Amino acid sequence: MTKRMIVAALALAGIFISLYLTLYKLGVIGELTCSIGSCETVNTSKWSTFLHLPVAAWGLLFYSEVFVISLLGTMPRFENEPLVSILLVADAGIGVLFSAWLTYLELAVIHAICIWCVTSAAIVLTILVVSIADLSESRAEEIDNTEAGRSELRS
Amino acid sequence: MPPTNDRPSDRNVPRKSAVREARNASSRPKAFLWLLGAIVLVGVAALSYVATKPKGGATDVIQTADTTNAGPAQGYPMGKPDAPVKILEFADFECPACAGFATVTEPDVRTRIIEPGLANITYFDFPLNMHRNTVAASNAAACAGEQGKFWPMHDRLFQSQDEWNGEATDSPKPFFKRYAQESGVDVAKWESCYDARKYQKRIGANLAEGLRRGVNSTPSFIIGNKLYRGMGAYDAMKAIVDSVAKTTSSSSVNGAPAAAAKTK
Repeated sequence: MTKRMIVAALALAGIFISLYLTLYKLGVIGELTCSIGSCETVNTSKWSTFLHLPVAAWGLLFYSEVFVISLLGTMPRFENEPLVSILLVADAGIGVLFSAWLTYLELAVIHAICIWCVTSAAIVLTILVVSIADLSESRAEEIDNTEAGRSELRS
Repeated sequence: MPPTNDRPSDRNVPRKSAVREARNASSRPKAFLWLLGAIVLVGVAALSYVATKPKGGATDVIQTADTTNAGPAQGYPMGKPDAPVKILEFADFECPACAGFATVTEPDVRTRIIEPGLANITYFDFPLNMHRNTVAASNAAACAGEQGKFWPMHDRLFQSQDEWNGEATDSPKPFFKRYAQESGVDVAKWESCYDARKYQKRIGANLAEGLRRGVNSTPSFIIGNKLYRGMGAYDAMKAIVDSVAKTTSSSSVNGAPAAAAKTK
């Protein structure tokens, strides 16, 4: 399995987690209550919305975008395209920074931990690590190809 | 079908590494598709399960003390004191879910359950630490309650929660003062009561009562001897009230509560 396939699988899992949290935030799934501890505290806090959208909905958009890019990157037409690797690293980097900020808020400000938010943060971090490995692999291939081309020209 | 006579020696045999690459290339997408399929299957099954789980049903119910033993806490009642079913509500004025109940579900509860005398409801403060203006709001409502205007103030606070909550302001008093005026209370009296935090102890006692009864989220309701966390729809509350009324009337000896239970 290629690294982009791993990223696509992780992003798909992230889509379901953020979809669950979005539906929960909208009150479609379960009953939204304000709680002493747990996910409800986090999901009803003032930091659960960002730019007029639930944070979970931003997560849903983010994972969908990563899923589409990584899926395209597994297709024969794009599998050697380094731009896909660059895009994935850039996306995952933004995702990790946003997740780090949210985790800081959970620990230091809201004083409640949402297990789904932590799971999502772990997924984003794994996506970043795998995407960096994919990028360095595609760079190495690019260098190999260039050197092979040069040696062919020399011969 | 008979086996072909093709042998490797008859064909142009590819290099060993190329064969491995070709095998991997054909097996990779298959394993990948299986993995994606498995994730989709698990995700859809999990979402379907939580979406179809009954709201406010048996899974969210825990046993607790009887409502008749309210202790030293003092809530804010509405409805006929002798109603056959007593609903205790534990809520936080700054909680969005409580505002949802107060503005969407509660109007129906009042006109179709409380006013006909099927049940009465008593509001208890359950201020959560995460909401910084909620205790001030409880004080504002208690001071309005001193002049018999708790419920108009309660409604006003929940209707405009977004303009005075901790996200919107650090000083909610001017908003509360306006609501007090609109609720028809003597503002000077209300203000001296509010500034003195006259009902701070009562708010603490109400919170302690909720904690004693196992409340850990808002809104929570105790109906009969059961605790319900959250209350999404009017129908859910009506069904619970009906079932408690039925139990009360069937266990009643003189039959008096049965008359109220018949009204549906």
